[in-house]
Amino acid sequence: MLHPGTSSTPAVRPTGRTTTAGTLCLLLGPALAVVLVLFAGGLVLGMLQAGGYVPGRGLSSLTVEHVGNVLLDSELLRSFGLTFYISATSTLIACLVSVLLAMALVRLAGRSRTIYFLLQLPLTVPHLVIAISVLLLLSPSGLIARLGVTVGLIDGASSFPLLVNDPLGIGILAVYVWKEIPFITFMLLAVLKNMGTELLEAGATLKATRRQRFFHITLPIIAPALGASGLIVFAFTFGAFEVPYLLGRTHPLLLPVWAYRNYSDIDLLSRPEGIAIGLLITVIIIVSIVLSHLLLGFARKRGITV
Amino acid sequence: MIRPGFARTSFSRKLHVFLSVFLIFAGPVVPVVTGQVLSWDEAVSGARGQTVDWYMWGGSPAVNAYVNGYLADEVKRRYDITLRQVPVKDIAEVVSKLVVEKQAGKDDGGSVDLMWINGENFRTCLRYGLLYGPFADVLPNQRYVDWTNPTVKNDFGTPVEGMESPWGSAQMVMVYDRARIAEPPRSVGALLEWIQAHPGRFSYPAPPDFTGSVFIRHIFYHVAGSVDRWQGDYTQAELEQAAEKTYLVLRELQPALWRGGSTYPESPVRMDTLFADGELDFSFSYHQGDASRKILDGLFPDTVRTYVFDEGTIANTHFVAIPYNAADKAAAMVVADFLLSPEAQLEKAKPGVWGDFPALSQQKLPPQWQQRFADLPRGPATLDDVELQSHQLPEPPSEILIHLEQGWEQQVLKNR
Repeated sequence: MLHPGTSSTPAVRPTGRTTTAGTLCLLLGPALAVVLVLFAGGLVLGMLQAGGYVPGRGLSSLTVEHVGNVLLDSELLRSFGLTFYISATSTLIACLVSVLLAMALVRLAGRSRTIYFLLQLPLTVPHLVIAISVLLLLSPSGLIARLGVTVGLIDGASSFPLLVNDPLGIGILAVYVWKEIPFITFMLLAVLKNMGTELLEAGATLKATRRQRFFHITLPIIAPALGASGLIVFAFTFGAFEVPYLLGRTHPLLLPVWAYRNYSDIDLLSRPEGIAIGLLITVIIIVSIVLSHLLLGFARKRGITV
Repeated sequence: MIRPGFARTSFSRKLHVFLSVFLIFAGPVVPVVTGQVLSWDEAVSGARGQTVDWYMWGGSPAVNAYVNGYLADEVKRRYDITLRQVPVKDIAEVVSKLVVEKQAGKDDGGSVDLMWINGENFRTCLRYGLLYGPFADVLPNQRYVDWTNPTVKNDFGTPVEGMESPWGSAQMVMVYDRARIAEPPRSVGALLEWIQAHPGRFSYPAPPDFTGSVFIRHIFYHVAGSVDRWQGDYTQAELEQAAEKTYLVLRELQPALWRGGSTYPESPVRMDTLFADGELDFSFSYHQGDASRKILDGLFPDTVRTYVFDEGTIANTHFVAIPYNAADKAAAMVVADFLLSPEAQLEKAKPGVWGDFPALSQQKLPPQWQQRFADLPRGPATLDDVELQSHQLPEPPSEILIHLEQGWEQQVLKNR
């Protein structure tokens, strides 16, 4: 029997399910305020600074000169190309491996909680830690190279292949791929678990080959989640600073490192240019997010829940 | 690790540009007002019972402990002065606060009594008349300072002229491993030859990193053939010519650098790691005792040693200054004097306390104090004060520094 004072009456009564617009605003208010003030505010400040805003002179001091300088810089295309190459390649590799891994896991591990726990572990490790680990492991004087010298596989540090601060960005790619596979796999597993085996069994009954079942049943179902998580990864790697700073080369620079370099320059005049590069990165990331959102909406229309 | 002078300098350079831009729009430049400076006796008698608010970079626990412990206790006991440390992230913030106070006409009763500054912050203060003085000549302990030493006489190219009082010094030293190299190249010219003869064994952090930047200034001094010329009047054409020669030498050097110069360490920390890992045969540091500390920490082998070039290495001095509107000028002067006393400088130089190098000239000290400084336990890699002080070159003005950093990026890094 329940006493009134200790009753476990739910805070929201079943009849009060329909929330009015007013309560919705109230509930979302604090979160929205943070987003608006910090992100939108930061964006506006960024635009002002990229425009070379000088406090004493008001809005008349705004100019597009700095943005123009960045857009006309011959380095921009090179930096953009390199950043795009790193982001696209790491996203692609991570997506491919994740699809295979998720399918293997859903078959082998089923609903095992341990597997999920293990998958979540790498998600908690910061990129910075992995970047330093890769540096310690893969540099010409790193752990693997030393092991190779000890075992007699290579003659010395100089004969070890260049894997960090290298022209192809292998070190950076390694970090991103290692970090993003668990994330994408995690997203895919959720979808694959909900999908169940019925559709596949039906396909098998209708004599679809494994290949056909993958391309006509599994892939269409996981595609939205794959696309969305892939875009999130792409957007993140496009704007991340610490990994290319540690594992990249002095020249050419990835866009985020270039932005940082300009922003922290002794010469105050290169600061607006740093911000302009930052805004450019933001634009690309926003486009990625919008695309990812459209994909999700498209999937919902087809009745697939993610 | 404590990085007294140069860490703040790189911050301050940024501020300077900010302030210059700010002041251009904020109003006309205020002329320097030099008032009557207290005599030493007036300072001591007036200091009794006063409280000194010392604004300084507060990022180092060792420095904070020295200031709040030893220094605060001693000035209380000796002069009845209460020393209060006001830790700030960047002294440049305080300088901008003073600029605003100056504009607002707040000419006395200011809350800042003493500041730990150098380089661009000092130049900014002078330019806008934010300092009290010249007071340094009045302090009795100035007799131990060698004012003819260009690294003390000029602060990053700006004549000090008694407007700030020295506190300590930082100097670039070369780092090598005795077990690998028996006799290191003892001049910049010899080092350049050594690098060419041993491809892939040398590198420097990419400027604008402060340590990498000081390396290219050594090359600049080497090719320009003169150091003093850049302290005084030089023409833009002379600078351009010497800078071009510097880039040429550095471009020629590039193929012989670590990884053929295709990339550079991003920081001195990385350069030290590469050195310890045996990828590089040299490292260098803008702190005289850094290598010893790294031996102590187990990061470097015991056989690591430091040396200075025969022609000298670049050094800078960090100072304390008194704002024009300080409320407790007398006590601030007494504290500035005590900072320079042999006992306070010796305490500061102890590796367990702070390990900062003295601003005092060893030659000017009485023999018993010279002995005490010489007896200080310094790590196996650290040179003695006499050797260091007799090989000091001044920093050039920061406009040369910026010119070289930008030129390096355009002409050395990108022109491959």
